[in-house]
Amino acid sequence: MKLGTRIGTALLGALLGALAAPALAQDKPITIGYAIARTGPWSIGAQVTQEPNYIMWAEQVNAAGGLSVGGKKRKIELIGVDDRSNMETVVRSYEKLMASDKVDLVLPPWGTGANFAVMPLAQKHGYPMLSPTATGRKLVAMKNPYFFALLQQPDRMMDALAEFMVARKVRTAAVIHVDELFGLEQFTALEASMKAKGIQILEVKSYPIGVKDLAPVLKAIQAKNPDALIALSYPPDTFLTTGQTKAIGFNPALFYAAVGTAFPFYRDKMTAATVEGVMGLGTWNPKTSAAAKGYFDRHVARWKKEPDRWASAHAWAGLQILQKAVEKAGLDRKKIRDYIAANEFDTIIGKIRFRGSENVSTPGVVSQWQNGEFEVVWPPNLATSPALHPKPRWN
Amino acid sequence: MSAREQLAATLACGAVLAAAPWLLSDFLLSLALSCLMYAALAVSWAMFCGPTHYLSLATSAFFGLGAYVTAWSLESLPYGVAVLAGGLIGVAFAALIGAAVLHLRGAYFAVITFGLGELTLHLITYTEKTYFHTAGRIISDAPDNAAIYWTVLVLTLGAVATAILVRASRLGLALRGIGADEERAQTLGVDTRRVKILAFALSAFFPGALGAAMAVRWTYIEPLSVFNPFIGFQTVLMAMLGGAHTLIGPIVSAVFFSLVSEFLRLRFPYVFLLLLGLLLIALILYLPGGLASLLRRRGRADA
Repeated sequence: MKLGTRIGTALLGALLGALAAPALAQDKPITIGYAIARTGPWSIGAQVTQEPNYIMWAEQVNAAGGLSVGGKKRKIELIGVDDRSNMETVVRSYEKLMASDKVDLVLPPWGTGANFAVMPLAQKHGYPMLSPTATGRKLVAMKNPYFFALLQQPDRMMDALAEFMVARKVRTAAVIHVDELFGLEQFTALEASMKAKGIQILEVKSYPIGVKDLAPVLKAIQAKNPDALIALSYPPDTFLTTGQTKAIGFNPALFYAAVGTAFPFYRDKMTAATVEGVMGLGTWNPKTSAAAKGYFDRHVARWKKEPDRWASAHAWAGLQILQKAVEKAGLDRKKIRDYIAANEFDTIIGKIRFRGSENVSTPGVVSQWQNGEFEVVWPPNLATSPALHPKPRWN
Repeated sequence: MSAREQLAATLACGAVLAAAPWLLSDFLLSLALSCLMYAALAVSWAMFCGPTHYLSLATSAFFGLGAYVTAWSLESLPYGVAVLAGGLIGVAFAALIGAAVLHLRGAYFAVITFGLGELTLHLITYTEKTYFHTAGRIISDAPDNAAIYWTVLVLTLGAVATAILVRASRLGLALRGIGADEERAQTLGVDTRRVKILAFALSAFFPGALGAAMAVRWTYIEPLSVFNPFIGFQTVLMAMLGGAHTLIGPIVSAVFFSLVSEFLRLRFPYVFLLLLGLLLIALILYLPGGLASLLRRRGRADA
């Protein structure tokens, strides 16, 4: 057991040495820190939508000489750690980055819950945070001056959907939603919007997160024969609802599923033929602008996989805004915050301006899979393709 | 060491650790907080499961319930009272389920306690949605880090002290008797059912109170993040690798693994799970008696 003792002592020594070592020296590069999920349940979304953009942005900026601060270019040094999909680890990691390492800037973690958890730290230590994967009126209502939410709020997205339904004379709908802040907020917004527009809701069913079978619910809805089936779902249940609606041969004129439809692997896993005509939460595609096309091509070249057609672009837009703010305001984080709060920015998803924490510029959008692309189909002035309505039968 | 000496040593350690908020940086303080939290979880788990050889996976259920007690009550109750209430709810819940399932053994008990965690998660989700029309709760006005740290320190010392007292008491003797041979213990006059429920409920105070104490750090409380089964798995793992039948083993192991996993996570961000896995395998192969056996062997060699 001498060996075991020695190993133990050596490990402990290394450990204490590492912990006692001073924080990373901050000489030349601009240090930008973040914690994000590389393992655990959050990693699926985080590794599609968020971290690839952080890395690609830093590489791109560094390849161009660095981030411009007061007219001088400085390289970016990214310090990214795994938060293990654990709330306490998120908090501890940002405490380290902000209070101990004193990095120059931070990038946000993935998801609404983790962003909530970091918000008080961001305010306490004065770090502006532009979050691409946090949505909900509750976040905005926190009135945290350092927090900026890039995604469209639920009411915007649901208003757009209801407007589309009115335009296409969809008169009845059934809604299922996941029992979680996201599902509830989206549903509340959709219900209000549909009521105001005279669309009848024939059935509402909610289900717990992690649900494994929705077939009975879907069959009951099929019996009521609504024009539209709207699933305010998370990725696993988006896949489940799509598969089971197809399996029971339920063909509503409009089929909408919320989060995950914009992921390229939704199309790839379900097949392009199956998802033809499926609608969902999206914002952009390579056709929405030349800048969006450029971003798409660079992303595919760098990662050999496509970015998702919703929040990936918001993540990139957030980095564009941060870059611009640093160029204008330097590395004084209070000034960066003030600059972000007071100005309008050009991004790959169009102009963005914040009122409080809310992005009040990006309009609500309805997207639809057509021939393997997630086309923007509503509102008409942003549409990259006319809507396929009624949706073709499952194929 | 006698129980009295052990208690005195615990108190002395507590006095030293209480100085941490003045000495440590924010990050090291939150790392210390994690170590304390897992030490308390592992010790309280081992308090019941160590001597009786039960495998309980209910820690996350108690922890999550405690977190929800804070989320529900912090607006009307002081922090300290909410933490106490979290612990008491843990006790009550454990007594209830203990009465129902403690006659089960082995894998059955493990599976059902794990299932209880899931059940609690969905029960809370359903209650929140149906009666409060919400899915998550926001905690504003959280106490500062030092207050949280001292609260968790007190809970940890409480857990260790309780474990010492239980080990030295008739209750501890009865638990060891149940672990060795439950029927014989019964024949010798131990009311095994009562003893098990009592000890299981007592050990649930700490995860409940810790959940309540830690929840204020996360601002937003939702079932999925506070009923995290990994908290339960990690607790069991730490206690077993430390030596669940010992007092010091789970403590040493909780601190050791909290520090090692944090060190690996920060220094080897992409392969830390692999390294952690290898370390676990090595420990299980070469130290079957847990980390505590290292200390004991060394003690014997010195003597």
